[in-house]
Amino acid sequence: MIRRLEPQSGEVIDRESPLKFTWNSKKYVGYAGDTIVSALLANNRQVFSRSMKYHRPRGVLTADYWDPNTTVQVGTEPNVRGAHRLLEADMKVSAQNAWPSLDFDIKAANGLFGRFLTAGFYYKTFIKPQRLWPLYEKVLARFAPGGVVDLNTPHGYHDKRYAHPDVVVAGGGPAGLAAAISAAKAGMSVMLVEQNHRLGGHLRWGTDQDRETADDLEESARDAGVEILTDSAVTGRYDDNWIAISQRDHPGVVERLIKARAKTLVVAAGLVERPYVFSGNDLPGVMLSGAVRRLINMYAVRPGNRAVVLTANAEGDAAVADLERAGVEVARVVDARAGETISKAAGSSKQLGSVTLADGSTVKADLLVTAAGWTAPTSLLNMSGDRPSYDPAAARFFPTALPDNVIATGGLVGDGSLDELIAHGISSGELAAQRAAAVKHRLRSTVTRAQNPQGPEPPVQPDRRIGLSRAPHPELYRSDTHGMVDFSEDVSSKDLVSAAAEGFDSVELVKRFTTATMGPSQGKLETVNTVAVLAEARGETIEEVGTTVWRPPYAPISLGALAGRVFEPVRVSSLHEWHTAHNMTPILAGQWIRPEHYGDPGAEVTNVRTNVGIIDVTPLGKLDLRGPDVPKLLNLLYTNKWSKLPVGRVRYGMMCAEDGVVLDDGVTGRLGEDHYLMTTTSSGAGQIWQWVEMWLQTEHPDWQVHVTPVTTGLTSINIAGPKSRELLMRLVDDVDLSAEAFEYMNVRTGTIAGVPDCFMWRIGFTGELSFEVHVPAGFGLHVWEQLIEKGADLGIGPFGLEAQRIMRLEKGHFIVGQDTDGLTKAPTTGLRALIKLDKDDFAGKPELEWALAPEAPELPVLVAITPTDPRLVPDEACQILREGTTEIVGRITSSRFSPSLQRSICLGQVTPEFAAAGTTLTVRLCDGSDATAKVMEHHAHFDPEGVRLRG
Amino acid sequence: MAEPEFRSSVTTLTATPAGAPALTDESALTKASVRAQVGASPLGVDFTRTAKRDGVLIAAIRPDEWLLLGSANDVEALLATARFDASVNRIDITHSRLCLRLTGARSASALEKVCSLDFDDTMFPDGATGSASVAKVSSDLIRDDIDGEPSYLLLADRSFGQYLYDAIHDATTEFADAL
Amino acid sequence: MLLVPCPHCGPRNSADMSYRGEASSRPDPASTTPAQWRDYLYMEHNPAGWLRENWYCSSGCRRFFTVERHTVTSEFREPPLPGSKTALPLSKTAEAGAGTDQQGGEK
Repeated sequence: MIRRLEPQSGEVIDRESPLKFTWNSKKYVGYAGDTIVSALLANNRQVFSRSMKYHRPRGVLTADYWDPNTTVQVGTEPNVRGAHRLLEADMKVSAQNAWPSLDFDIKAANGLFGRFLTAGFYYKTFIKPQRLWPLYEKVLARFAPGGVVDLNTPHGYHDKRYAHPDVVVAGGGPAGLAAAISAAKAGMSVMLVEQNHRLGGHLRWGTDQDRETADDLEESARDAGVEILTDSAVTGRYDDNWIAISQRDHPGVVERLIKARAKTLVVAAGLVERPYVFSGNDLPGVMLSGAVRRLINMYAVRPGNRAVVLTANAEGDAAVADLERAGVEVARVVDARAGETISKAAGSSKQLGSVTLADGSTVKADLLVTAAGWTAPTSLLNMSGDRPSYDPAAARFFPTALPDNVIATGGLVGDGSLDELIAHGISSGELAAQRAAAVKHRLRSTVTRAQNPQGPEPPVQPDRRIGLSRAPHPELYRSDTHGMVDFSEDVSSKDLVSAAAEGFDSVELVKRFTTATMGPSQGKLETVNTVAVLAEARGETIEEVGTTVWRPPYAPISLGALAGRVFEPVRVSSLHEWHTAHNMTPILAGQWIRPEHYGDPGAEVTNVRTNVGIIDVTPLGKLDLRGPDVPKLLNLLYTNKWSKLPVGRVRYGMMCAEDGVVLDDGVTGRLGEDHYLMTTTSSGAGQIWQWVEMWLQTEHPDWQVHVTPVTTGLTSINIAGPKSRELLMRLVDDVDLSAEAFEYMNVRTGTIAGVPDCFMWRIGFTGELSFEVHVPAGFGLHVWEQLIEKGADLGIGPFGLEAQRIMRLEKGHFIVGQDTDGLTKAPTTGLRALIKLDKDDFAGKPELEWALAPEAPELPVLVAITPTDPRLVPDEACQILREGTTEIVGRITSSRFSPSLQRSICLGQVTPEFAAAGTTLTVRLCDGSDATAKVMEHHAHFDPEGVRLRG
Repeated sequence: MAEPEFRSSVTTLTATPAGAPALTDESALTKASVRAQVGASPLGVDFTRTAKRDGVLIAAIRPDEWLLLGSANDVEALLATARFDASVNRIDITHSRLCLRLTGARSASALEKVCSLDFDDTMFPDGATGSASVAKVSSDLIRDDIDGEPSYLLLADRSFGQYLYDAIHDATTEFADAL
Repeated sequence: MLLVPCPHCGPRNSADMSYRGEASSRPDPASTTPAQWRDYLYMEHNPAGWLRENWYCSSGCRRFFTVERHTVTSEFREPPLPGSKTALPLSKTAEAGAGTDQQGGEK
């Protein structure tokens, strides 16, 4: 570690804990507490990356999170910020964007031809001819910056939580710390979020006294009960102070996203040092003053041997003092406050060699330090609606108007001594606490479940803080030469000038055209320089040009953190364990895991048609309806009539939305005088519940109906097949199940296998004699197992969704959403008799009335279709064409091979011209060939008279 | 014939690590829903509040719905003595809803990982109810402290039982002593 | 994320709610014209300013209500009113736990 200094009083490294690591496969040693970059610099490695477009070698610029030149690959993790990430034992670090190696990069030839790669080069060059784009893409992809994603990387444990802190403080420098402490002392719950690994902000690389102050503040914050998050960032502020925080210091978690509803937000983001624009400003060896101070004071690394320092402020002066103390020869101090400046820097491709000053003199140096001023990272203020304004006297932007629940402090609002900064932080914390108290009072009075607060709501406190003064600062943006403005995107001031010359007259357009500010540092380093260069090029002021708007996220969030712990609710019926133990092939239907079949769906069909089968239909939507006005409700929701449904009967109905399109269907049974059970499709269960509630709550609040969803409260089992009655009789004593006593479309309540309060009704989706039983779910498995046991000698077998779908297709029953779509109006289904236009009102009635008027255009018709070739099963959604043309006249909506008929069968929608029985259709198959098929007379391919069903 | 036996939708329980909030399955409790018009107060409990009467927890979980939770006998007895007018309906929802209980000093912190409600003592005090999405499942929450120790009942659609149990259990593990 | 003032629960995250669009009234089906009815079905007026809109407190009290919201500032004007009906149902993918599936495939 030949650049490591003797121990420094403020160093954060632990010299007792050496850590071995590799950089581009070579072995090095650093210390615990080092960042990747400080450890490499200590080992005299100075080039960390190649730039994005020109592949110029790049060294340390800022030596912190925002450093654009030190992004590296760590193991399988790409795009790690090397000047922020702490070194770990056995880390495997490698350079990105260098091919074949960091030292010899073929693409650096781009640098030679740099004048061709001006802004818009790629847009303009590779647009024509379009057919060559796949080739261009392949080549350009190799040039794209960024690390390597290993697709086999295991998904780390990420996390998510909600929080409701009274005050969130973004930034743990002196002002932020002071604000957090005073807010906490005022009784508020405070969350303090700091991007660095330690609290204290710039005090950490300052004097011994600075560090003592930082330690004291940190201790006070802990004592006051502030929740402290380091290595974390407030990444966004949204409506009503909804705050996104990315937390990376939580044990056992890669990264955690916190969604906080803060009563007040204190923004103490500090200031970001701004690079100076001149020729050669991206040579390794050109650094900002903050970088030098951090490297010397925190990491005990000597940043160079012979330095030139351009200083416009106290930080630059302090950097001079730090360099001298570290034994670096300071060859020249260039004081911008006295009107001095530098012109350009030169050297070999990998190392600064000399600096030319504005007066033309040249100084030999391997280190050039610039302290050219600050950018106020106002992102969170922008996200709060503020449009900061530029102050030429202080050479930076300041906030203008903030909402009551957002308070700015620290360097964002002004300058001053450390005491003044802390005092401003304290008064900001007090203001934040007062305003949070008002919000809290209001929440406690308005959130119904909360404890009512004492006394009247405190008024929103006016801002009576003593403001921070603004230190004068020279406007120092570009020297008399052109240099790099956006280091991460390789955009130079020349590019911006040409963009202006090309007529891009809005800063937002220049940004998108040149991609300046669009790289990983997202404008923290380059926004103001971009604006300043543009202003100069157009002869305007910075204020006139204005800035781009800073949007979330403030700092990058990993996709893993956004995903968090993945919540994907799944639902299962009470029979799930049985299905799993009995060879179920599962299918995910919405959130439900259901048996698609138990091995052989065709055999399941045959068994139902010959013996008896049972299917778990629990997901069937079920709504318990009670009250005297249920018939009115049913008349309103269904297209048919419900006023005279007797107790003990069930009826089929179809529902439409107000546009006349089929919404759902199902049967509803009358269980008692004022008690009904409505079933919906499985997929429509939730939607129909809300649909019913909406009609009741908004149009007919006077109707007495209570709706309770009981979908999974009842385990629903359909017992189907010629032997189903015989089976059910073995388990039911208290209901007469005979054909005479319990007719088709009737419902009874009784006891099944010892379980009382079961509903059973006779319906027939499969076309067989069938009983659908609804059993209290806690006893569902018991009833199912009893059915299996008692039906053994009858040949009972379970059947799954697929067998049911085949049987319903054999019977020609349509499925809403399968055989209908978002344009299918009710008459298309063929159930014209169920549309009762003589009712006063029902959902969708006007549209249906107009659709059925004699002058209305005829609607498509749902028909049963059989392919001429009985073995051919056209895919669902195959188009039906007018023969010899490509005119689409319909489509196949359902198709299967029927085990009962030993041939293929379909349902489809066709235009009326093709709907007559016997019409020959042309079906365009997926492979592009055509097949013929015939329209059938009935929807039902199997047992069209329904003899089996009514048996 | 085998006697019917009530089975919960939570079929696999996981041991609570020491120090973490304890998650238990109370789905077997009898649950009755009492429905009335919005604004009515058939049981004298206001929306978002609870009361305990003769061993039964009465929770006003919606402006028009009161949930009764207890043993079958106690709930039946309470309903038998209550005097409701004709517009009130009572529905047994024992089999429709699963019921979990989360108990322990850090249970609010665990819930914050799966639910966006504010579980601060002033915002969700003992005896309060709230409905919200918990791990993306619509749920009713009831704060029902046990001897001063924070405790929450959670009710949701029965079919989510195992999923919800696992999701909440996972949220509690970071509060175990070992970490 | 917006805090929406539910008349029953108090302010709640908009993610706890379903947005149901602009408030409109259902024309009398006996006398409506196609133009009136289709305005009710499909037309949104989308002003930059105060708008009466419908919300459904889907994760909370499950009541429908109408509020006035300023579409530029997202400020709510209280008090909220009882809900009004909207023409079309929620999409089928809206809610977890309300029992919604995208595909079930039997009746």
